[in-house]
Amino acid sequence: MSFDILFNQFLSGIARGALLFLVASGLSLTFGVLRVLNFAHGSLYMLGAFISYSIWKWLLIPVVGFYVATLLTAFIMGGIGLLIEYYILRRLYARGWPEQLLATYALILIITDIVKWFWGGEFLSIPRPKPFTGAVFLFGFPFPSYNFFIILLGLALVVFLWWLVFKTHLGDIIRAAAHDRDMVSALGIPIPWLFTWIFALGAMIAGLSGAVTAPYGAIALGMDIEIIIECFAVVVIGGMGSLPGTLLGALIVGQVYSFGIMYKPELALAFIFMVMAIVLIIRPWGIFGRPER
Amino acid sequence: MEANQMEQQKSWKKRAWWLIVLIAAGLIAPHVISEFYLLILGEALIMSLFALSFNLLFGTMGQLPFGQAAFYGLGGYGMAMLLTKLQINFWLSFVAGIGIAALFGLLVGIFCVRLRGIYFSILTLAFGQLIFVIIYKWHDFTGGDDGIQGVFPPEFLKDPMAYYYFILLVFGLSAFILWRIIHSPFGYTLQAMRENSERTEFLGIPIARYQLIAFVISAAFTGLAGALWAPFYRSVAPSTLMWIKSGEPVMATILGGAGLFFGPVLGTFLITFVHAYLLGFTHFWPIIMGTLILIVIFLLPGGILGFIKEKRDNRKKQNQPSQG
Amino acid sequence: MKRLAFLTVFFCVLSLLLAPLVLAQTKPTPAKEAAKVAVKTGAKDAIRLGGIWDFAGPCYMLSESAVQGMRIAVEEINAKGGVLGRKMDLIVRDTEMKVDVGARETKDLILREKVNFLIGPCSSGVALAVQVVHSESKILRVTCMANTEAQVVDKFTPYVTQVVPNTYMEAVAATRYLHKKYPNAKKFCTIAPDYEFGRREEAAFEEEIKRLVPDAEILYQAWPKPGEKDLTSFITAIMAKKPDAVHSSFFGGDLVAFTKQAAPYGFFEKIPFIALYDLPVFIALGADAPDGVMAFGRGCFFMDPNPKMMEFVAKYRKARGAYPDSWAVQAYDSVYLIKAAVEKAKSTDTDKVIKAMEGISLDSLRGKFFIRPLDHMGSVPCYQGIIAKDPNYPFKVWKDIVRVPGEEVWRSEAGVREVWKKTGVTR
Repeated sequence: MSFDILFNQFLSGIARGALLFLVASGLSLTFGVLRVLNFAHGSLYMLGAFISYSIWKWLLIPVVGFYVATLLTAFIMGGIGLLIEYYILRRLYARGWPEQLLATYALILIITDIVKWFWGGEFLSIPRPKPFTGAVFLFGFPFPSYNFFIILLGLALVVFLWWLVFKTHLGDIIRAAAHDRDMVSALGIPIPWLFTWIFALGAMIAGLSGAVTAPYGAIALGMDIEIIIECFAVVVIGGMGSLPGTLLGALIVGQVYSFGIMYKPELALAFIFMVMAIVLIIRPWGIFGRPER
Repeated sequence: MEANQMEQQKSWKKRAWWLIVLIAAGLIAPHVISEFYLLILGEALIMSLFALSFNLLFGTMGQLPFGQAAFYGLGGYGMAMLLTKLQINFWLSFVAGIGIAALFGLLVGIFCVRLRGIYFSILTLAFGQLIFVIIYKWHDFTGGDDGIQGVFPPEFLKDPMAYYYFILLVFGLSAFILWRIIHSPFGYTLQAMRENSERTEFLGIPIARYQLIAFVISAAFTGLAGALWAPFYRSVAPSTLMWIKSGEPVMATILGGAGLFFGPVLGTFLITFVHAYLLGFTHFWPIIMGTLILIVIFLLPGGILGFIKEKRDNRKKQNQPSQG
Repeated sequence: MKRLAFLTVFFCVLSLLLAPLVLAQTKPTPAKEAAKVAVKTGAKDAIRLGGIWDFAGPCYMLSESAVQGMRIAVEEINAKGGVLGRKMDLIVRDTEMKVDVGARETKDLILREKVNFLIGPCSSGVALAVQVVHSESKILRVTCMANTEAQVVDKFTPYVTQVVPNTYMEAVAATRYLHKKYPNAKKFCTIAPDYEFGRREEAAFEEEIKRLVPDAEILYQAWPKPGEKDLTSFITAIMAKKPDAVHSSFFGGDLVAFTKQAAPYGFFEKIPFIALYDLPVFIALGADAPDGVMAFGRGCFFMDPNPKMMEFVAKYRKARGAYPDSWAVQAYDSVYLIKAAVEKAKSTDTDKVIKAMEGISLDSLRGKFFIRPLDHMGSVPCYQGIIAKDPNYPFKVWKDIVRVPGEEVWRSEAGVREVWKKTGVTR
């Protein structure tokens, strides 16, 4: 196995990891603060992909069209996140986590049919936007520029979230609320609204990742189920509710898959679940998670 | 303690009458309803068994397993493979299927019972998916996504009516056994663990061991449901092991009510019949199901049976203002 | 930082108000009206056709097309007086691409709807389970989409007939085309979705290429799971092996994803490639469809633009506002096959129809083919071509089209019997 082949697989793994991080970070954020494991996160991602397609098709502005569509999708999904949290999740905080889990499970069913209703069962595709249509050359080997775009976006999200959580006042509140919501509430901070905002942010990230995935591959029904399991693997391995953990988890899963493909393609998927199970057995709260709850 | 026993005896008698009605209905059903609805009824009974064994862990023990479909599938696959590949006799394969499911229940349970809450759920999900992927990918051994066809019951059970009675019999016995388990000291200990695991531990009860036993029992009955299913439509396929399938007993139980023994049964029957009916003229079934679940979660917190029970208890309280 | 919070909420709400505008322009999917609509003539003696289809995942679109094709055929036949003077009813059921639901819905069609014949499904896995059910009930099924060879070879029952090239035929024909275009290719890679269909086609490819090129080598076989969205790792793994050509049984959404992800690597310029590039993929990809790449398929209109086909195209466009793909074409043919067999048998009794059907010849949209009596396999054509633009259509199509009659590529009767010896089919 020569270096450039290994390096290429490594890069593929990074690209996959970046994509996984984009999606999983929203899930991790929601779990970290709200303590809700949002089963429907994948559905929000899928909905974002379909919505971005429609906006793109509607605008049909060359080059800029895609970026506008992506941004707009993120906000629309944020709005939908607001609605979901306010009307559905909020009423369930007083109830046990099983009910919350089930409500998000029910949302998967509802959102799938909504997508089926509006977009039918067709698979759709958006071409890659300029300037990310071709490939860049690393060590003489081509690497698709769009994959680079995804990696850059992943990095940007890491930086943004880090800034938000550690460098802003709002971030202090978020971290405190993740630690002890009753205390923060006692300090006069409107926890319900904070939660609504966080959930909306998670949904925005989901929508953004869906929009970004659209030119990467195909948009189709079933995207939601597929991605949510991998997201679970990522947050479990990295630590539920920990953003650096999610990043690490995403990178790990990306590489396990990428190299698994080369050596034992039939088992690549099984590897992921095995790693997930092993982490849960040895250290249930993940690499960077905290042993509470 | 005595008052409790008297209460139990009274409620037993109260229950006895409608239990008899149900059993009678079950027995005459094949002569009254069409063959198609008989099939649905059979399906509902099998899935109810699945839901009941799920509820042993959820309603009684207080944990939410999300990988039960793996045991359901293992029961079916174990039986199907022994029957079709090794030509082992139907009854032995049937029992072996249950045994295989129970064995995996043990292997998986050992790890899962050390966790609580959401971690327990996710680990069961991970194991469930792992088993699914292995069965799906190992196509030389399990037939992969083709599944296994040709799982035929013995001649005298091939007739739909005969097989229905077989399902009814197995279901009845299993439900009875599960009832006895839940209402035994073992079962009460499980409930105590659900209510307050710390206290139970202080009483000297080895929580992990009890939970493991419950897990294996649940896996065995789930495998039994799977083994009942395989000959029903003569085949097994990996799709029965997906985590989406694991969600079905969960939905049914929440709908019917996890707090009462027959809650999961009611929920399953409702879902199965409505599903079969609706598939006749729409394929937008998921949104109806999802909305139904949300409605039940919001308006009927204890499920349908829980809601009814609460209403009845409230009425009783109103009718007996002075009690102790 | 409350400003940040308020600002984002403001934009979210604003965007939400925009959303209906966006949704309004998602075209009213013909899916909604086509998918589950039955044809109910109300005639007491109507011949009832049951469509058992998978309205989920990748099969959703294909099932819709098939149902639409069936509908047009049924309506045409009814307009011309029906079959043996009896009208045809069409009832459609959804399997949700789940084997257990499929088996149950098949029973529903047989017991409650009392169908005379079945057509479908899409998924090979569902097809095999369904086959057990309807065979036990002695109802004939025509398969025009699920094409695993297992239906008529490994797990043969007399109650199945196939009018879609089976996995063996399709792969053999594609392999021969590949070999003709690239006779010096010796080292190959394959990439296919890891399920029954993909595995069978690649196995047949391997068998045939080794027959044509004795020292052929399969360097690497990629088996992404069906629906896998990120194929980059597979692409780089394949390119690292530097094969002379790559054979793939990718189709639909997977093929779209693969094409888009492989293109920036210069994949299609460097490596000869062949896959199931059919109409839905061309519509989705648009300009992204790689010119000059080889393709194989089962009978989309542009693969066989004979007069009968073009008539069908016009009808289909009127009814559905879209061009018919291979799936609609084959489903249409299936209905006409049933009509021909029933008319020849002068009855709808299953056993009589099966006897009539054995050896029957049909003048279909794809030209003439006949049903081989031994295994009920139709000698249906396999098509190959090269992707190219066409000024007449808003999507790319094929040029250099080759039509291979089924009887040139199917397993010989001796070959079929050999497999039957292994799987225990007695006939």
